[in-house]
This record gives sequence, structure tokens and C-alpha cells, in this order.
Amino acid sequence: MPNRRIRARASLRVAVLAAAVAVLGGAAPAPDKTDPLADQKAFQASFGERFPQVPFADFANGPYAVSAPMRKQWEDIMQFPPYDFALDEGKTAFETPFANGKSYADCFANKGIGVRQDFPYFDTKTGEVATLDGTINRCREANGEKPLPYQVGLMASITAYMAETSRDKPFDIKIPDDPRARAAYEDGKEYFYTRRGQLNFSCASCHVGAAGQRLRGDILAPAIGILAAFPIYRSDWGSMGTIDRRFTSCSAQMRSEPLPPQDKSYRDLEYFLSYMSNGVPISGPGTRP
Amino acid sequence: MTRVALAFMLLCSVPIAAHAADKSEAESAIAGAVKAEDAAGKLGNRWIPAEASLKAAKAAFTSGSWDAAVAEATRARLLAERAVEQSNEQKTAWRDAVIR
Repeated sequence: MPNRRIRARASLRVAVLAAAVAVLGGAAPAPDKTDPLADQKAFQASFGERFPQVPFADFANGPYAVSAPMRKQWEDIMQFPPYDFALDEGKTAFETPFANGKSYADCFANKGIGVRQDFPYFDTKTGEVATLDGTINRCREANGEKPLPYQVGLMASITAYMAETSRDKPFDIKIPDDPRARAAYEDGKEYFYTRRGQLNFSCASCHVGAAGQRLRGDILAPAIGILAAFPIYRSDWGSMGTIDRRFTSCSAQMRSEPLPPQDKSYRDLEYFLSYMSNGVPISGPGTRP
Repeated sequence: MTRVALAFMLLCSVPIAAHAADKSEAESAIAGAVKAEDAAGKLGNRWIPAEASLKAAKAAFTSGSWDAAVAEATRARLLAERAVEQSNEQKTAWRDAVIR
């Protein structure tokens, strides 16, 4: 009888242990833990190994960092930068007071000069990612002005001016110790790596896997530092465009219906990409083919 | 025998009339496409060609072209279903692409 009890207890222990193993590790694989800093180190190291000839800061120049012929063309174009008109317009708009007498300078740290590298940031008050473009429109609305369209026009000009005042300052994106910030970062990371659209592409398909290679007439820019030059004058567009314009056109190129500008997913994507690029200097406004 | 062969050849030469869709078939096909597109939209993955086909199906329906409406709506539905499959597969598959 005691032997039977011992055997029963032993069986019970084995069953409990088996159940614990199943719950703790034997079932579905556990999702990755969020470790943005480890992600960033791996991301930057990956591009460093892939393009050992490219100085880290040069990733701010997108395709020109990885293609000598394109760089030569770019250097020629930069004799007369095509974004100069936008810069002038943006400076004038930035310095022109609103109807209430206040100005953009009142809405930003350091009066909006040399702050591009700190955007986007996680706004702990709203619990969401705040972009430079979104903050410009919030500033306008707070001062009784109509918001600007996000993709082209004055928004591109004002951000061009603000970027120009921040040139050479390294991206310095922070992820606060806030689960909502971690979630926003994770959402951006997921968006970046998720395949979508009829062509079954992800952002990473072009800007990680095929970075530096040709896609028809284009050289694909590496993902690291890819936002440092925004806003950009793109020859393909024949005009200036913001990050929203690029995100929506990328989506369309994948034959995926673009999200609205400043959609949460796009802002989270910008947060992820900018954080991955920490240390890369701001080079905007830029020019691209 | 010759008559049978002749009759067979005559039968083969008569074009078999294709099934022509009617209004209710077109309505049903469009409803199916809309449902599939909504499902893709909920996953944030509407495909541009699916949207274009659905729009074309609705336009064909408005003009009374039931066959064209069914063809476009069917294409839209199939594309939208692929989009849903893609999104469901990517719910976990994206992690395999992460740089580590």
C-alpha cells in the first residue's frame, strides 16, 4: 500500500513537471522580448558588415553612400541644390508670425532651431509618437491656424528649413521607460518587417535585403539613416516631399493601399527607423533620383 | 456512319453559348468582393489591384454590364482573399526577417 502511494505521488510529480514544461517552453515559441538597444546594435552592425567601405555617418546620404556613379551625379546636382527654393520658402514661413503674433519658434525647444535630430519622440502625455510634421501642425492649430497638408508644399518647406538648421547633428531618438513607448517601437518594427501588398514586399525587402542593389533604375537606399535626409527633392516627383509622401509612395509601389499620412503605423515606423539610425547625422533637406 | 460523323462535326461547329450573368449574380459577386476587401482592410492590408477591380466591378454594375461586373468582382475577391492570407501568415512570419 505505501509503495502504491509513493508510485502515485511520483506519477503526479511527473505529470505536474510535464505540464510545467509544456506551459513554460514546450508549447508555442515565445515571442521576442523587446530590447530596442540590442536591436539597434544588431541593425547597425549588420549594415556595417554589409558595407564596410561606408563610413557610419555617410549612411545619411542614402543610395549615394553605396553607389559611386550615383554619388558623382549627386555631387554635380548639389552645385545647384534643387531644394533651395523650398529652403527659402520654409525659412520665411517659419519666421512669419501667426495671426495671433506667436510663431513656430514658440512651440519647440531651442525655438525650433537645430531640433530635427530629436524627432520623432514618444509623447508621454498623448501616449503616442509625435513627429516633427505632426508637431508643426499641432503648433498651427494651437495658434488658430489651419493645419498644412502633410505630404507636399509648405510642410515640406518648413521641415526642410528645420532640418537644415540641424545638419550634422546625430539622430538622438529616445525610448522612454514606458510600456506604451515600447509598444509603439514594436509596432514600428513589425510594420517594417511585415510583407504586404500584391508584390509581397516589406520595407525590409528593399532597404535591408536588397539595399545597394538596383531596382530597375534605382539604387535601393540602406534602411539605416534613410530618414536623415528628409524632406527630399525627388527627381521622380519633380518636387519636394515629406516622409509621409515617401511612405505612401513606397506602399503604392508594393501595390498596397497607402495609409493616411501620419497614421499611427507610419509614425511608429518613423520612430523605429529613426531609433535604428541613432548616431547618423541629419543631412536634410536632401535630393534623390 | 457518314451521317453520324457529319452530325457530330456540325455539332462541334456550333458555338456553345457562354453563360451570361444576370443582375443578381453581379450583386452577389460584388457583395462577396466587398466582404473580402473589408476583411483585408481590417488587417490593414488592402491591395491596390483589388481596390481597382472592385471599383471597376461597381462601375460595370452601374452600366448594366453584368458579365464584366462578375469578372471584376471575382478578381477583386480573389485578390482580397490572398491579402488576408498574406496578413495572417505575416502575423508571425515577420519575426523571421528581423536583424539579430
